[in-house]
Amino acid sequence: MKKLLSIVLLSFMIMGSVVAQSMKVEGKVIEKATGESLPGVNLFIEGTQVGTITNIDGFYSLEVPSGDVTLVYSFIGMQTVKEVVRDRTVINVALAPESEQLEDVMVVAYGTTTKEAYTGAAQVVESEIIEDRPVTSFEKALQGTTAGLQVSSSSGQPGSTATVRIRGIGSLSANSSPLYVVDGVPMAGSLSDLNPNDIESLTVLKDAAAASLYGSRAANGVIMVTTKKGKAGKTSISFNSQVGISSRVGDGYDLMNSSQIYEQTWMGLYNWALYQDKQTIEEAIVYAQDNVKETVGFNPFGVDSPLDDNGKVIPGSKVLTDTDWRDEVYKTGIIQNYNLNVAGGTESTKVYFSLGYFNDSGTTIGSDFTRYSAKLNVRHKVNDWIEAGMSNHLSYTETNAPPGGGAGANPVRSAEIINSASPVYNPDGTFNWKNKAAFDFNPVGLYEYDIYEYKTKRSLLNAYLNFKLLPSLSFRTTGGIDYSGDKGLNYYNPYHGNGAGVNGRSTIASTENVNWNISNILIWKKQTNNSSIEVLAGQEATGNDYEVLQGAVTDFSVFDMPDLVWGGTPVMPVSYSTGWTMVSYLSQGKWNYKGKYNLSASVRGDGSSRFGEKNKYGLFYSVGGGWHLTKEEWMPKLSWLNYAKLRASYGTSGNSSIGNYESYGLYGSGANYSGYPGLTPVQLENQEIRWEKNAALNVGLEATLFKRLDASFEWFTRKSEDLLFDKPLSASKGFPSIKTNLAKMQNTGIEATLSYGVVRSKDFNYDVSLNISKYRNEILEMTTDEIKSGTKLIEEGASLYQFFMREWAGVNPDNGKPMWYTNVASDDESNSTEPGSAYLDPLGSGKQVTSEYSDAERVRLGLAIPDFYGGLSNSFNYKNIDFSFYFYFSVGGKVYNNDYAVNMHDGTNPGYNLAVDAANAWTPNNRYTDVPRYMVDGSDNGEEISSRYLEDASYLRLKNISIGYNLPQNICEKIKMSGLRVFASGENIWTLSKFKGFDPEGALNGTTANSIPGVKVFTFGLKVDL
Amino acid sequence: MERLYKKINVLLIVMIGFSWSCSDDFLVEEPTASLPSENVFESIQTASAALVGAYDALSSYTFEGLYWPIMSDLVGEDLMLVPGSGNWGWFVETYQLEVLPNYTWVDEPWWAAYKIIYDANQLVAFAKDIPDATDEQKKAIEGEGRVIRAYVMLKLAQMYAPAYHTNPDAPSIMNVSVPVDANAEDFPRATNREVYTQIESDLLTAIDKLGSYDDKGFFDKRAAQAILARAYLDMHEWEKASKMAQAAHEGIELMKREDYYGFFYRNSETIFTVAFNATDNNTYLTIPSFYWPEFGYSSVRANDEFVNKFASADYRKRFFLLYEDIDPDRNLVLKFEHNGQVGNAERISIRASEMYLIEAECEAELGNFSAAQDALWEIQERVSARTSKSTATGQDLINEVLLERRKELFGEGFRWNDIKRRSLPFVREGDHWAKWNFTASDEDYFRLTFPIPQSEIDANPQINEEDQNVGY
Repeated sequence: MKKLLSIVLLSFMIMGSVVAQSMKVEGKVIEKATGESLPGVNLFIEGTQVGTITNIDGFYSLEVPSGDVTLVYSFIGMQTVKEVVRDRTVINVALAPESEQLEDVMVVAYGTTTKEAYTGAAQVVESEIIEDRPVTSFEKALQGTTAGLQVSSSSGQPGSTATVRIRGIGSLSANSSPLYVVDGVPMAGSLSDLNPNDIESLTVLKDAAAASLYGSRAANGVIMVTTKKGKAGKTSISFNSQVGISSRVGDGYDLMNSSQIYEQTWMGLYNWALYQDKQTIEEAIVYAQDNVKETVGFNPFGVDSPLDDNGKVIPGSKVLTDTDWRDEVYKTGIIQNYNLNVAGGTESTKVYFSLGYFNDSGTTIGSDFTRYSAKLNVRHKVNDWIEAGMSNHLSYTETNAPPGGGAGANPVRSAEIINSASPVYNPDGTFNWKNKAAFDFNPVGLYEYDIYEYKTKRSLLNAYLNFKLLPSLSFRTTGGIDYSGDKGLNYYNPYHGNGAGVNGRSTIASTENVNWNISNILIWKKQTNNSSIEVLAGQEATGNDYEVLQGAVTDFSVFDMPDLVWGGTPVMPVSYSTGWTMVSYLSQGKWNYKGKYNLSASVRGDGSSRFGEKNKYGLFYSVGGGWHLTKEEWMPKLSWLNYAKLRASYGTSGNSSIGNYESYGLYGSGANYSGYPGLTPVQLENQEIRWEKNAALNVGLEATLFKRLDASFEWFTRKSEDLLFDKPLSASKGFPSIKTNLAKMQNTGIEATLSYGVVRSKDFNYDVSLNISKYRNEILEMTTDEIKSGTKLIEEGASLYQFFMREWAGVNPDNGKPMWYTNVASDDESNSTEPGSAYLDPLGSGKQVTSEYSDAERVRLGLAIPDFYGGLSNSFNYKNIDFSFYFYFSVGGKVYNNDYAVNMHDGTNPGYNLAVDAANAWTPNNRYTDVPRYMVDGSDNGEEISSRYLEDASYLRLKNISIGYNLPQNICEKIKMSGLRVFASGENIWTLSKFKGFDPEGALNGTTANSIPGVKVFTFGLKVDL
Repeated sequence: MERLYKKINVLLIVMIGFSWSCSDDFLVEEPTASLPSENVFESIQTASAALVGAYDALSSYTFEGLYWPIMSDLVGEDLMLVPGSGNWGWFVETYQLEVLPNYTWVDEPWWAAYKIIYDANQLVAFAKDIPDATDEQKKAIEGEGRVIRAYVMLKLAQMYAPAYHTNPDAPSIMNVSVPVDANAEDFPRATNREVYTQIESDLLTAIDKLGSYDDKGFFDKRAAQAILARAYLDMHEWEKASKMAQAAHEGIELMKREDYYGFFYRNSETIFTVAFNATDNNTYLTIPSFYWPEFGYSSVRANDEFVNKFASADYRKRFFLLYEDIDPDRNLVLKFEHNGQVGNAERISIRASEMYLIEAECEAELGNFSAAQDALWEIQERVSARTSKSTATGQDLINEVLLERRKELFGEGFRWNDIKRRSLPFVREGDHWAKWNFTASDEDYFRLTFPIPQSEIDANPQINEEDQNVGY
């Protein structure tokens, strides 16, 4: 400590001696090309902290100790100029832009590099792509921007994050999401807590040379997030406001109105009486007339018997109820986004500060999202060899999110299944709860009465110290804390829905998630005439603590007061904590020879608490090389080839994203009975569980042609071994599955990115860019031959997400029964004899079909993974106007439309609403149709899983279109601003697809689950720079 | 050089501050909210909690709480679900006798049952090693574990295997009676004989180890005897069944006429009940929710032909009600009430009346008609089903006992197996909306045996499509 003090004192002494004698130097700094004066240029006396900044007209004046000193002039984006003072008192300087060099600096694992020297496959996404987009979290803005990056949003819930996959699917059951690293520190919480407007750039690390340095967390790639920093020079203040409207991305298939559902139900009852109960036609008509109201739940007409004996509405019957439940559940959302940024500083201290407010009122009742965020980034040069910095992010978010999936309280599901004859309100204005699809659940009523509210406090704090020990040696120590505190409140009202059985229920859960990280990195650099070498070595420790505290009560004495004090009966409270720790050692070497050859190698060892005694440690490595063809002497200087580089890399990484205690056999609490506390086995012991390993090979070619066309091609193959997988077990093992390292999988693919500057002129620029990716996923090995579950078959030699189900053969025109191809040759069942129920397809396929669902065998029916996907962007600049639009496309890939299946139930859920398509059901007069006969409580099984509901999910989407206008500089100056921009943008506004549902973009596994559909957004914005 | 020395000093200070001792301890994180399995049987306290946990698993709505008892009557002639949208889709295919191997109704009880068996296997195997347990405690944990296992296996066999008496060597369920780990070899379908032998041996051991409990929420000696009587009845071991049934009801006072409505709380003749209470029940997924005409799914109805079988003086006839406001067409069932709140009702699984009926049936089969008539009269007299003791003999007496069983035990989960275990014809008449009429020699009889779930066939190499039950 004494030493440290002496150093601090020493620094003061040096500074003191510098200011002792003085002479004055002044001058003006201009831009070399235009001759315009440059305000905010930083100048200082070399080797000291003494300096100043040019004023608004580019002038400066500075006291210097003597004529021997050198002045350093620097400005962001400009080349630095040094001038020895000698005996001059006026020094005018012209600065030239430094564009080339700056563009190529990219943030990579544990440091930065230049694009030219980099041996890995990585792509940088600049802030322009992310800023001003009406998205809650930045990863959604990445869709279509980067080859090899697949971004898919399965829910339009504001604040929900998208699924991100880099280069295929790396894991079967463990997490396949990339690792996110914010300002050098891996992060743990939700992406939507970050304000996208605070992001300077993103680097997507795709191959082993790029990502392996993150070892056991790099198997699925890494996304480096770099936040904005202050710059030396004039303080810039920028205010950005944006307002927009959002709505459901697509209209989906039509649902029946109340007359249609009433007629269809009549038909279903009639068919049941006639075909199933063997009644006469006359009896069947009576049966249908007698029961239609009870089955639908309501008579939506003004008369008691609105249907004639053919089951058709008698003309003139007045319709009193015709509820469009979608209209009741969906609404137009309002998006508001306001940001204030302040950036500035001196050469020694740089500050970036921002405040943000984002609010999305949601497109579905009960769903919204609000974020308040603040950011402070500070860097300070303590002295000429120590730099200290902090990067702080604070946010508070409030989300309302109704339950999804099959839950009764899911408004999206309710909108699809409650039939249109059911009114929202009773005649007296109270809510009607008696629909026949979701017992006691009225989505509008529940929106009024129930609460699903989540509040998150997030702080992401990183601090570092950087020591320049020698010109060639530096040491950086970084500490980070990522804290999320969540409070969730679920309140079920005492009268209807989930809470009715217990007279109301309120559950409050508080979770705290703390992720900490400490890293110490030593970097040694050596430059000679012909080569440079850089070696990095370091150590890292990371840990996580997660704590939950939950309380709940039932039996409420008052209405609409969710706090626990109002409940009469406590429910078992819950508290628990889990955690994990990891220790790592890492090293990397880079070598560059004459700018022609680049080599890199890395190694990292990780030890994790998540794995059993036998398998705690993992070692990961990578090697990579780059070769600049255009820098070779023997290479002819071609006018059309400006730059060409060949890259190759190979390396390994791991995936440790599994539960914290997977190796233990465990008993859990809560298995109480008759008032006694009970324990029950909750997990099988699994000491063998170990790291997933990933080995990736990448070959890439980068080139610039005709000075205008940047092209990059990548070929990769990722082999994943020891994949953790829920191996299904026989019921005799007590559990349906166990995690085992039993699979091998490979993702092989190609990526191409082409950017072309079509027009480059003083006033008009036009750039077009295309990226396209294709990968093939293949399971190489499993210890079980195959795993059949739901709609999928997982087997060796095939892709994950392979559909496997009975093949729909249409409807038998003679009796309206569904038909499936028997497909006896399929390996679903071992025997290959036609079942007794088989018959020749009456529709003329020549194949055998059956109307007995269980007699048909399941067959492979394609993949959920698209054949290829990518983005096409166009941007235009004309004087002060910029215009850009880009498309995202996903071609091939299927989706099993579960939601549609529910609306095409053929009568098995007689109270549920139907798609209008269901009106095309078979009747003796409508024999050739694809919709089976409609029968209430029928047992034809036509609605069971089959290719009837399997759809092509290909789509082309206008992902973003935006237009902006920048007020000319001279006008800005007059009104005392440095810039003013107005802009308008549209997100997801047009989609081309054959898909029947709301949105072809959905879950990667290709099934729909009544999620809030995606949204399209129009926004208008204003940005003022002071 | 001195400057470098200073730099290194600063660096050392920083490094000491941030360095972590990376001993192995740092990489050990033990769960705090769950207990490693090997610790459970290290004390009587945790072992007893594991026993409670097994009862909790038994009480699951996918097994003894709802699925098993309700489906055991829906696969029958006496009760039905309301047709159309009023049934909310629950159990419809079961009532229609149209189940497939991938249906929830088939899948869930199987998985729930084997989880209970898994829990019970640990209790049976490790009870004797509990260091701080008394002999009595060890016996109780092992004995109750065995009863739980036998109870579940018997129900599984009745659902998923052809009736024992038709073919003792027919493939039955998996006989899992030891703790197995995930990598252990899978089990094939055992034969009926092996399964019933296991059940018998478990129960005989339990009868030996268990005493009598006041709390009927737990299996005691009497419960074990009652379950064994059921197993012997399936096996047509009339003498043994009768003996066990008598032992099980010995000393129990049947419900009197005036308190003959207690099917939602423990009544005087309860031998075992699933002890749901106000804070621990399955709310809507309960017997009263489906049976009672209000407050729940309320979708069970009684067949008109069945209702007509009750004499008008029969006290039990008041369990049926035609009430136009709720259902204009079909009889409501008032046997299973909510107890103050939705779903709060005990589910009485074994009661003494059943034991008298077993005794009556067996004695009639053995030709001891007088003993059979006496046992039958115990049931009939208190509800005024008849004015005098039956004088029937032979098959007539057996038929009367069987009819009395239907009347006494409807809704309690017996009819399905009662048809199956005697190969009776399956006849639905009257206001049933999924009518069937077949006998044991008809092909359709396969419908009285559930298929082995598809999930089991997919996961178990020892059970393949070829091993599936006939008809699926």
